[in-house]
Amino acid sequence: MSQTNGEPLLKVERLRKSFGAHEVLRGIDVAVMRGDVTCIVGPSGSGKSTFLRCLNYLEKPTGGAIFLHGEPVGVRWKGDKLYEMSFNELSRQRQRMGMVFQGFHLFPHKTALENVIEAPILVKRVPRATAIEEAMVLLERVGMKERAHYYPAQLSGGQQQRAAIARSLAMKPDVMLFDEPTSALDPELVGEVLAVMRKLADDGMTMVVVTHEMGFARDVADHLIFMDGGVIVEQGRPVDVLTRPQHDRTRAFLARVLADA
Amino acid sequence: MSEEPPHRPSIHDLKPIAVPKIGHWIGGVVLAVLAVVFLQVLVTNKNMQWAVVAEYMFNRAILSGLGMTLLLTFLAMVLGLAIGVVLAIMRLSASRVFQSVSWGWIWFFRGVPPLVQMIFWYNLALLLPEISIGIPFGGPKLLSWNTNQLITPFSAAIMGLAFTESAYAAEMIRAGIQAVNVGQTEAAATLGMTRAQMLRRIVLPQALRIVIPPIGNDTISMLKFTSLVSVLALPDLLYSAQMVYARTYQTVPLLLVATIWYLVLTTILTVVEHAVEHRLKSEHRAGATKAGGIFPFRLFARQQEAV
Repeated sequence: MSQTNGEPLLKVERLRKSFGAHEVLRGIDVAVMRGDVTCIVGPSGSGKSTFLRCLNYLEKPTGGAIFLHGEPVGVRWKGDKLYEMSFNELSRQRQRMGMVFQGFHLFPHKTALENVIEAPILVKRVPRATAIEEAMVLLERVGMKERAHYYPAQLSGGQQQRAAIARSLAMKPDVMLFDEPTSALDPELVGEVLAVMRKLADDGMTMVVVTHEMGFARDVADHLIFMDGGVIVEQGRPVDVLTRPQHDRTRAFLARVLADA
Repeated sequence: MSEEPPHRPSIHDLKPIAVPKIGHWIGGVVLAVLAVVFLQVLVTNKNMQWAVVAEYMFNRAILSGLGMTLLLTFLAMVLGLAIGVVLAIMRLSASRVFQSVSWGWIWFFRGVPPLVQMIFWYNLALLLPEISIGIPFGGPKLLSWNTNQLITPFSAAIMGLAFTESAYAAEMIRAGIQAVNVGQTEAAATLGMTRAQMLRRIVLPQALRIVIPPIGNDTISMLKFTSLVSVLALPDLLYSAQMVYARTYQTVPLLLVATIWYLVLTTILTVVEHAVEHRLKSEHRAGATKAGGIFPFRLFARQQEAV
């Protein structure tokens, strides 16, 4: 369902990130088209999570540029000078990029429903009644309607993650970023979260997913990126990368993860 | 090895006899005797003058002193916590200036005894005869007050108690804020919240839950610390009792009146503290079912929506 014509929704150019002397990202270029699902795989420590966290400036990149709808993220032009954005300016851009974390990070002092309505009411000034109405639709979509009034501590990991997805969707983002959304889950709970993500992809949501779930990447992704050592080693259609890898590092990684599966 | 008797019952029909706790018995008897002796002194010692104690227990001066003690405790805690929250946020700020000012305040007010502070604040006029708002370093003054009019025993007492509390509260609240998972602020940030929104809606509500038990403890300490204000001749519970016995020389019974009232108040506060703590512990778990128990409401959490 990828659109090949037109500007990409999200564009990353020569992205670099260092922590002290350690260079985690060494020049990443990616383009994500509207409606595309991009999966990023690679060994741990390859920089894929850092890459995702740079997209919405949870980590400040050391170099390079990110564009959302052609507009630079985290910085702004004024004449021919480039200025850093303040936290609060940045928060306006972050609204357009939903993020789902490995550790869910639901607000523990709020019920599932309260988690979902919090940001729309607080940030977007949506009337409470409207926010609740929309939240219930979202919670139904992720199969959490019956548990709307439960606190996170009363929910299983899979239920928490599905509520967290609804919470992100409530801000009506242009793109959803998933940072290993099923890695903290018990094996039997992985499926329910992946099913929600599949449905989201079918509905045309633009998604960037860092994952270890090769099956999901193969079936759902329009574009697969293999990262190692802070660079993109190989990218393309999932079927090509998974079945006909061009690089030794890709082959070695696939041999390892597919042997486990 | 004891010899096996011929008709021993089955092991399944018997409950084994417990190991004797001889230490408990000996210690228990000694302590019980001491307790009886202590009670006997309390009851039979004529110097206790229980009749006088009863007479003054609900005396008007004593009750108004009790009110003053409660007022001081309440104001000092509210003011101390408010300053403490600001100090904690400054301490965690990225700005070196904010960090240092906060550190300096905490260092000073935790280091100087509240009694010394109160006397010092009360005598502030000796240092600064006039307090004014204006442009510093010799600029024009917009407003100015005579320090002696501004500083009363009451305001000096509040400052001494509240500033001391603010230093302790700041450290507790800072620890509380730091105990909130980083993921919480990241999740809030990705939802587009501003720094202030994150702090107010996500971080502080969680930090305060963590900090409530030590704050309860501090409130109990504060209640007792207020007795220091008697040096400023402020009529709190202790000073009211002192004023009576200065006149009647019934020192012991009036100190007993004060003691009993302090114990009553700390007992009430302890019960409240335990109830709040219990409530906080069970709240996350209780969630879906309506709140019940001692308090028919949920702390912090909003009432559930009927959808």
